[in-house]
Amino acid sequence: MTTHNAQASVLNENKLDGNRMSTSKRSKGIDYWLPKLVLSPTVAITIVFIYGFILWTTILSFTKSRILPQYEFVGFEQYVKLFLNDRWMGALANLAIFGILFIGICMVVGLVFAILLDQNIRAEGALRTIYLYPMALSFIVTGTVWKWIMNPTVGIEKFMHDIGFSGFSFDWIVDPDMAIYTVVIAGIWQSSGFVMAIFLAGLRGIDTSIIKAAQLDGASLFAVYTRVIIPSMRPVFFSAFIMLAHIAIKSFDLIMALTGGGPGNATDVPAIFMYQFSFTRGQLGIGASSAVIMLMGVTAILIPYLYSELRGEKQ
Amino acid sequence: MSGLSIQNVKKSFGQTHILKGIDLEIPDGEFVILVGPSGCGKSTLLNCIAGLEEVTEGRILMGDIDMTYAAPKDRDIAMVFQSYALYPNMNVRKNIAFGLEIRKMPKQEIEEIVDRVAKLLQIENLLDRKPSQLSGGQRQRVAMGRSLARQPSVFLFDEPLSNLDAKLRVEMRTEIKKLHQRLGTTIVYVTHDQIEAMTLADRIAIMRGGEVQQFGTPQEVYDEPANIFVAGFMGSPSMNFLRVEVGGADGQYHVLVASEGHTYKLPSPPTQADLSAYVGKQVILGIRPEQLTHVMPHLESGPFVTKVAVKVEVTEPTGADTLVLTRINDEECECRVHPAEAGKPGEMMDILFNMEKAVFFDSETEARI
Repeated sequence: MTTHNAQASVLNENKLDGNRMSTSKRSKGIDYWLPKLVLSPTVAITIVFIYGFILWTTILSFTKSRILPQYEFVGFEQYVKLFLNDRWMGALANLAIFGILFIGICMVVGLVFAILLDQNIRAEGALRTIYLYPMALSFIVTGTVWKWIMNPTVGIEKFMHDIGFSGFSFDWIVDPDMAIYTVVIAGIWQSSGFVMAIFLAGLRGIDTSIIKAAQLDGASLFAVYTRVIIPSMRPVFFSAFIMLAHIAIKSFDLIMALTGGGPGNATDVPAIFMYQFSFTRGQLGIGASSAVIMLMGVTAILIPYLYSELRGEKQ
Repeated sequence: MSGLSIQNVKKSFGQTHILKGIDLEIPDGEFVILVGPSGCGKSTLLNCIAGLEEVTEGRILMGDIDMTYAAPKDRDIAMVFQSYALYPNMNVRKNIAFGLEIRKMPKQEIEEIVDRVAKLLQIENLLDRKPSQLSGGQRQRVAMGRSLARQPSVFLFDEPLSNLDAKLRVEMRTEIKKLHQRLGTTIVYVTHDQIEAMTLADRIAIMRGGEVQQFGTPQEVYDEPANIFVAGFMGSPSMNFLRVEVGGADGQYHVLVASEGHTYKLPSPPTQADLSAYVGKQVILGIRPEQLTHVMPHLESGPFVTKVAVKVEVTEPTGADTLVLTRINDEECECRVHPAEAGKPGEMMDILFNMEKAVFFDSETEARI
């Protein structure tokens, strides 16, 4: 009897074990599937609304689409038209001017401010916040504010006239030759504080005894920065450049708010060109082809960045 | 080449006094170690010598030249940092050459120096690597190479070995000593490791709270510590301190210790201290663990040796010796005995108290009598 019982209990235990095993298998299944299930809507949305529309735009750029999409394929005809369009070439030239000046000056200003802030000065926290604050505004607000500041009848020019400098003139925003530089000014005001924060973080990451060692080696403070510190911050420069470059290529809202692309087409950039051809001038095909060109521009910058980042992870 | 003279150097940050009047005379070619617990001001003093921090008061002379307010680059010194402080953007060759390039030395000469230094430190095969591709010990060598290249008249080392693992530390310690013997340049070396201090130094300056407690050769500070702090800081395991009463008269003095109900009279060698003023009073007896041994017949008959029966509380084998922790005068006391002779915890065992090198401290001032 007892042996029987024992056997039974052993059997029971086996059964229990079996149950436990199956539950554990099932719970493992849930562990395995749950994250995928939860993430799948996001993945689906990303695939459809980002990569799907990239694909759709690319397809449209090879069609004769005007106001509405249609699928009569014409090869590279829209691209040819695009690059024969003076307005597009003007937009590219503007982007070049804006991009080079915006990125270049932002980096220099950001770096200089970061170095100055790094000299153990008083009220560093307050200053840092002040410089960083423009980043908290949207480009629309920045654009609107600078539009008023640089407007000759209400802004700086009027102010200087009011306090007596009647010969003072600052009318870049209404001067087709100079208007693009007002965009540069507003862009720098908005973004250089952010660049400063990136550089400051980079500077703080440098061991202070390196600076001491360089001083003992006889380097002046200027040489310490130019020969040791700044060269060793190359990754930081790279990050800052990537950030600024894609802001520059995609810049749309700042220019819309500040100049609306004008006077005339003086501050036209590819993003504005793309928007207007696609949605207000009924040239969807050309608009799509300009969008594809911009995508290629951004990709050309991002791919090397991603490549270096991923390679770094592997190491 | 030149010696270094530090005269009444003080350094304060506002109301915080980091250095309270340091005087050190370092002859040319001497290896001096500044040792002390964290926050004793040893690194600050080194930075003051380097010129990285300005002194509040006092003078620093190199040779006969007053360098108190000279810029770091004009002082003809080189420094090795705890974090190595290699320039991360330059390869090893550039790191070593940087100081020479800044000083506008001809290219040909720089190359020769870099090659010579690399050979000396056996880092020839690393010259084209970046610091990030080097191990800790290799970085340490490069940091030393960088300071060697300039052939300065004084080397400063700021805890150079504390980021290395124990084995490598011992190796590098020997290398630094060899290097000093070969070059004969004055070295000031900061560490908090008393073993490093003992093994490397020609003379040790033990610092506490911004003051130099004692400045002497390793053997001097070990055998004749100026006060309880120095005695406790130097040596591992640490010296035993026992509160004892002094007895005796006419140049023959002894101190009384009690163990397990018995009281023993330990004779004090007249060469060690004059206890005449302390008869009937308490003093602090300082005796190193190696003076408290198991019974060795050839020692037992010595004039200042006493056999004391003690109870073993804890034993700590170190391989060569076993440390036996016991209680004397109700204070913990460590003895160094042969492993085979060590008793087990709870057992009684006989210990020889050899007073030949015992030292005595005033129980109030903590200074040596």
